[in-house]
Amino acid sequence: MAHGHHIIPKKTLFSVFAALIGLTLLTVITALTIDFGVLEIPVALAIASTKALLVVIFFMALKYDNRVNALAITVGLVFVSVFIIFTMLDTVFRGDLDNVSNITISQQEREDEQLRAREPDADQLRVAPADFVGVDDDEASAAVDEAATADEAPAQ
Amino acid sequence: MSSATAAQGSPAASKAGNQGASTYLNHKKTIRSWLLTLDHKRIGVLYAVTLATVFLLAGLLALAVRAELFMPGETIMSNDAYNQTFTMHGIMMVFLFIVPSIPAILGNFVLPMQLGAKDVAFPRLNLASWYVYMIGGALVVTALLVGSVDTGWTFYTPYSSSGSVSVLYMTLAIFIAGFSSIFTGINFIVTIHKMRAPGLTWNRLPLFVWGLYATSIVMVLATPVIGITMLLLFLERILQIGIFDPALGGDPILFQHFFWFYSHPAVYIMILPAFGIISELMTAFSRQRIFGYKAIALSSVAIALLGFLVWGHHMFVSGQSAISGIVFSLITYLIGIPSGIKIFNWVATMYKGSVWLQTPMLYALSFLFLFTIGGLTGIMVGVLAVDVHLHDTYFVVGHFHYVMMGGTVIALLGGMHYWWPKITGKMYNETLGKIAAILIFIGFNTTFFPQLILGAQGMPRRYANYVEEFTFLHQVSTIGSLVLAAGLFLVLGYMVYSLFRGQKAASNPWGAATLEWTMATSPPDPHNFTRTPIVTRGPYDFHLADEVFGPQHTGDGAGDGAAPEPAVPRKTETA
Amino acid sequence: MATQTQETQDVQAHGDGHGHHERLQHHFISLDQQFSSAKLGMWLFLVTELLLFSGMFVAYAVYMQWYPEAFAVASEALDWKMGFANTIVLLASSLTVALSIHFIQKGNTKAMITSLSATLGLAVVFLIVKYFEYTDKFSHGIYPGEAFNPTGSYAYLDVPNAVQYFSIYYVMTGIHAVHVIVGMLVFAWLIYRALRHHFSPEWYTPVELGGLYWHFVDLVWIFLFPLLYLL
Ligand code: HEM
Ligand SMILES: [Cu+2]
Repeated sequence: MAHGHHIIPKKTLFSVFAALIGLTLLTVITALTIDFGVLEIPVALAIASTKALLVVIFFMALKYDNRVNALAITVGLVFVSVFIIFTMLDTVFRGDLDNVSNITISQQEREDEQLRAREPDADQLRVAPADFVGVDDDEASAAVDEAATADEAPAQ
Repeated sequence: MSSATAAQGSPAASKAGNQGASTYLNHKKTIRSWLLTLDHKRIGVLYAVTLATVFLLAGLLALAVRAELFMPGETIMSNDAYNQTFTMHGIMMVFLFIVPSIPAILGNFVLPMQLGAKDVAFPRLNLASWYVYMIGGALVVTALLVGSVDTGWTFYTPYSSSGSVSVLYMTLAIFIAGFSSIFTGINFIVTIHKMRAPGLTWNRLPLFVWGLYATSIVMVLATPVIGITMLLLFLERILQIGIFDPALGGDPILFQHFFWFYSHPAVYIMILPAFGIISELMTAFSRQRIFGYKAIALSSVAIALLGFLVWGHHMFVSGQSAISGIVFSLITYLIGIPSGIKIFNWVATMYKGSVWLQTPMLYALSFLFLFTIGGLTGIMVGVLAVDVHLHDTYFVVGHFHYVMMGGTVIALLGGMHYWWPKITGKMYNETLGKIAAILIFIGFNTTFFPQLILGAQGMPRRYANYVEEFTFLHQVSTIGSLVLAAGLFLVLGYMVYSLFRGQKAASNPWGAATLEWTMATSPPDPHNFTRTPIVTRGPYDFHLADEVFGPQHTGDGAGDGAAPEPAVPRKTETA
Repeated sequence: MATQTQETQDVQAHGDGHGHHERLQHHFISLDQQFSSAKLGMWLFLVTELLLFSGMFVAYAVYMQWYPEAFAVASEALDWKMGFANTIVLLASSLTVALSIHFIQKGNTKAMITSLSATLGLAVVFLIVKYFEYTDKFSHGIYPGEAFNPTGSYAYLDVPNAVQYFSIYYVMTGIHAVHVIVGMLVFAWLIYRALRHHFSPEWYTPVELGGLYWHFVDLVWIFLFPLLYLL
């Protein structure tokens, strides 16, 4: 079972190192001189991934190693992408049904205040069950009936 | 018992009941030899004692919660005390008990033996995992001493990023206890890959091993994320770094992503080894090859991997984007498929088998019933629209107790009864065992089924108070919890009694066909086997298991499948 | 999977005949089995490290996508030349680690000790550079979190959400630096053992594992550099 002890020639190690330095220079130069716009990060990541691959294959000797080790790190990478992709599926589309607002709570309260100042009668409006708390029963059931007929759908 | 002379003849069987033989329990006796042991079996026992203590404490907290809920209004504790009680109950049960439970106790003890190995791959790492766990436990105690935690076991921000400083200790505790899981996971994967006995191919691995393998994958992939989550939360508290705290421009929903990326897969850390145990019990007590070996083995791995794609179903009403709610809901349905495959296969294993209703089998049958309810309620809350109503109600509490307690804990109990003779060399009282199993089953359902109904009617979780209408069902639930506790204490009682007065166990009292039964004494030799096992058949090939049934299937083996009686230790063998 | 079983069988089948190497632990059958177990264990540990860092990369991705302008402004405050220098330093240290394994495989303990010492030295250089970067930022009020209060030549950083960038920057590079320090301790220990002739071409598992760990530390930096410095 000699595959655990493959000796990598010095020449290989030094050429890999040279390639890594070259790629580092490349990423600096592209970042400083060329404007890729939205592709900037993908380009940087592509170069970084190439470097990473070189390190893993030659320095970490995965090329000569048991394939189970390669499988382990690959599965790890897959789940890192799952983590990023599924989280961003939320954060990128946050509020896609206008179901959340991106203003702060205090801002919201200020707006409510302004609304109330503009329409003082709105306080009498009762829609949700919580609005009926503290209202005496007759008035409440009357309001419910009213709401029901208004919606043309029986309550319950 | 001495006719085991076939090709795989087992020296172990003939040694059963030998008095004075050196076993892992008695070859060294000092406390030091226990605390510094590298023997996987002793480490399993250390964990068993520790986790039983945690389970007891957390269980008492649960009884306190149920007592408070016996009547509406404030009864035995204040609202704050109530919040702290259920929080501690949750944290201890989840992080300190149920996550390590089956792997650390039974996995440690049984895994190397089922593989025909002398130990796990990294014995020192194994011992370290216990110490790391103890440090985590000590920090939890510290957190209680310096203050109180009332965030719930989920630590949602901004709750946890404001309020008492004990949260700091608690996050640190969970960060550290996580390493204990990681160590166990790494150890098990390497052991399964590298330490299998000659002839033990992947297709011949016992299904408990497959369950532990799948669990270990999840431990390795998910646990580091709870580590970084707790670390970031810690930094949020001391430096206000503004990643999770909305007051500082952070995003509390991001915290939930982090938390559930670990904690949903963590529920599979809990349940996958339980699946493994149930597979062992079903086949051993049905005297029948498992139905669909490959389907069960691979569905465990499938669940482990698929389990990483559904965490957002805990966040349907958190304000995450609608599209991700929809996607997470759809993938959640998929989890039902591999789970269903397993239930089907276990039932099919019993069909036309020779079902032997010993205590472990009673637990296996309980599991089938309870896990099915747990899984189906899981699918119900996995439906996006339905969950808007059910989220954060007692329905969810009912759901996860059906899977965690009805699934994992019941399987753990079944496994403890099954391997008890091997671990201790003693038999427990079978009659009491059956009574306790039935009490637990009844008590469990009485406690948690009403909670499903309460939840559907709108009883929210994590409140000390409730409206009058819910009183009756809450009282039923509390009474059920007392029955459940009685059953569990009964188990504790006769198990401890058996240590001192129990009958000596034969090496293979159940007539099972995996290596720990066929090749080792009860309790085993310090090195597990007296010689390296050579495996020539599958783990459930009873028809090839000459060492169990005798060479000509004359019923002369250590345990006879056709007639269960001889498998129970004979009177003559007891001292 | 089939080859895997084959290998286990081989290992165990021919294991019994060998005389026992002093480094062979009792529960393994051969040094090969022991070595490949240790290596798989190390790779799995690296997987856990990967997932640990992934959390911070997720935080980075989310805030980067939400606040690209703030991130672009903030990243300008970092000196890319420092990051570049450190990248070269770490890449060189990876080379020296790989060389140290090459040397011990050939039985050249002396050369191995030299390359391990070079690695340790490069790690120190890395931390010195990092120290200057951190102190420069601190002296201008650029702290992680609430204390963030840029002054002087960095006053332009006082834009919304720049603080998130720096929080992430400090947490990521901070945890990375902790890993560098751990690596230094590992190398000191390896050098100590090598001086006592513990390693040989038959048995050099700790060097191999320490090397894998160090390459991983390098890998993380390979991604941190463009993402943090070159936006
Ligand atoms: C058939 C498979 C399962 C499905 C589809 C499923 C689905 C779900 C869903 C959708 C929720 C969120 C409900 C809500 O908060 O509104 C949930 C909660 C939960 N599930 Fe499951 N589940 C399954 C199996 C399990 C298993 C096997 C376990 C543990 C052993 C488990 C433990 C939990 C826990 C602890 C919670 C509550 C977490 C909390 O909010 O405190 N589930 N489940
Ligand atoms: Cu879940």
